[in-house]
Amino acid sequence: MSELLLAEGITKSFGANRVLRGVTISIGRGEVVGLFGPNGSGKTTLANIISGLVFPDRGRVLFEGKDITRMTMDARFRAGISRTFQIPNPYPSLTVVESVRVALLCGQAARQAGGEEKAGLEEELDSLLGRTGLFAQRFWPAAKLSQGCLRRLEFARAISCRPRLVLLDEVFSALSAKDEAELVALMRSLYREEEISFLLISHNPLILEELCDRVVAIEDGRVFWEGKPGDLARYVPAANHAHELEDEMHEEGGS
Amino acid sequence: MKKSGPFRHGKFPGVLAAGAGVLLLLPLAGIDAFLLNVLTLGFLVAVYTGSWDIVGGVAGQISLGHALFFGAATYACALLTSLAGWPFPLAAVAALLLATAAGAAVGALSAPLKGPFVALLTLALGEGAHEFFLGQTFFSPKGAYSWGGEGGIPVLLGGPSISPWTAYYAALAFLVLCTWLMLRIARSEEGLIWTAVSGSELSARASGVDVLRYKRRAFMVAAALAGAAGVGFAAFVGRATADDFSLELSFQAATFAAVGGRGTIVGPVLSALLLHSLLQGTGIPPAGRVLLYALALLLTLRFFPGGVAGTLRDRVRSRRMVAPGKGENR
Repeated sequence: MSELLLAEGITKSFGANRVLRGVTISIGRGEVVGLFGPNGSGKTTLANIISGLVFPDRGRVLFEGKDITRMTMDARFRAGISRTFQIPNPYPSLTVVESVRVALLCGQAARQAGGEEKAGLEEELDSLLGRTGLFAQRFWPAAKLSQGCLRRLEFARAISCRPRLVLLDEVFSALSAKDEAELVALMRSLYREEEISFLLISHNPLILEELCDRVVAIEDGRVFWEGKPGDLARYVPAANHAHELEDEMHEEGGS
Repeated sequence: MKKSGPFRHGKFPGVLAAGAGVLLLLPLAGIDAFLLNVLTLGFLVAVYTGSWDIVGGVAGQISLGHALFFGAATYACALLTSLAGWPFPLAAVAALLLATAAGAAVGALSAPLKGPFVALLTLALGEGAHEFFLGQTFFSPKGAYSWGGEGGIPVLLGGPSISPWTAYYAALAFLVLCTWLMLRIARSEEGLIWTAVSGSELSARASGVDVLRYKRRAFMVAAALAGAAGVGFAAFVGRATADDFSLELSFQAATFAAVGGRGTIVGPVLSALLLHSLLQGTGIPPAGRVLLYALALLLTLRFFPGGVAGTLRDRVRSRRMVAPGKGENR
């Protein structure tokens, strides 16, 4: 599996708070990598650096061999790295179809600059809405969507640039069972049929085990563990909760 | 089947055509010269307010210095015709270019800023220009007169004088043309992206939108249109004064647009025309006018939070939304 993205020695501080301390992570072509860690471990900051929302203090990001460390988020979207947000930010005065059209227009403009023929935008828009299950709601104001539909809209936006890498930040959390199953199925079809690589950020080991080829666990801004998703179950209690639980028990016992 | 949202400003062109028809026939009903003058100015104020709506409504960049672009155009017309001796059409083109350049400059400064800081910066720039031109005097070519400040500078049109009727119809045609153009812009792909940027910069950036570039372009387009209104104003009034840069003119645009419904173009245009005619035509003194602006704004925000046209549009939208959608996702 050849390498699609490499983030090397990433260090990032916000004021005195050192969020990432030399993290290196790679994602192969067509690979699904899980990023696991407790709240505050730096998962989202790493995703922000890979997607270009913030720039690292030190380290570099390579995409298809090119250094993109200082490339802005919108340029990375047009170059083929897209992302979803943990908390979706819909455009309050646009409908669903208009919201997706914005992303599709920018993605398509970039591809045309790269020499591609102008394809049917309307057909692509319809197919995107159909695949993400938003066709019935296409004329709804985006602000009135349910949580499940907002996540679908995030998905539609993210895949509209025909990306090679999609970062999914907690995309399956706080969803109904039906919404979760449909989005998981959509993601599966995307990496099987279109060989899109994914970086799946989650603190839910079950989801990671189900979907990922490889899992990277970070804690306190460092890569703590890396391995097969099947082995995650063994890592989780050791690194995450067991010693905290023990500490609590000691404290309670001592008082 | 129409693929894009059918609710974006759906029925406004019909309203617009009907309104234009009434205004076309109005002079035949025998209105007096004063009212004719008020309405002609009203058409120009409506274009100017619509241009504010391009940047302040569609693109969501609340500019409180919009008079800067208007005044730049009137001053350019006056100085170039009276001092430099240019023919008016050439001066008008130069005025449009100058207003657009001013828009590009203000846009470049304000693009990295957000929300209230855009308002503060544009307010400072607009009022700075106002103060500068209040104190700035120019001397006529033979040094016979001193021009500028509140007394103003004459605009030389050249050619025979224009009758009030011709001016009325010319201004009405100008308004219809500009409103059509502004609606086209608001509904274009560019306008859609401006609205997205106004809604959520984060989502727009994650959708591949170069946010700064689109904000700058919105300012440039709005400034060009405000400049067009300024050229029309200079031609009609025949004078450019420092008041063309005034704070009142900047605030008036934002107020009229908020009453009409920001982002709908037609709402601000109609509300500017109505409120201007009402306030000027009834001869209310300036102090009372300011009070009435405030009252109109308060009443609108109370009963039509999105402006009159904006709130009506949202109601139509949500009524249609229930029909095709499934109930379960509400």
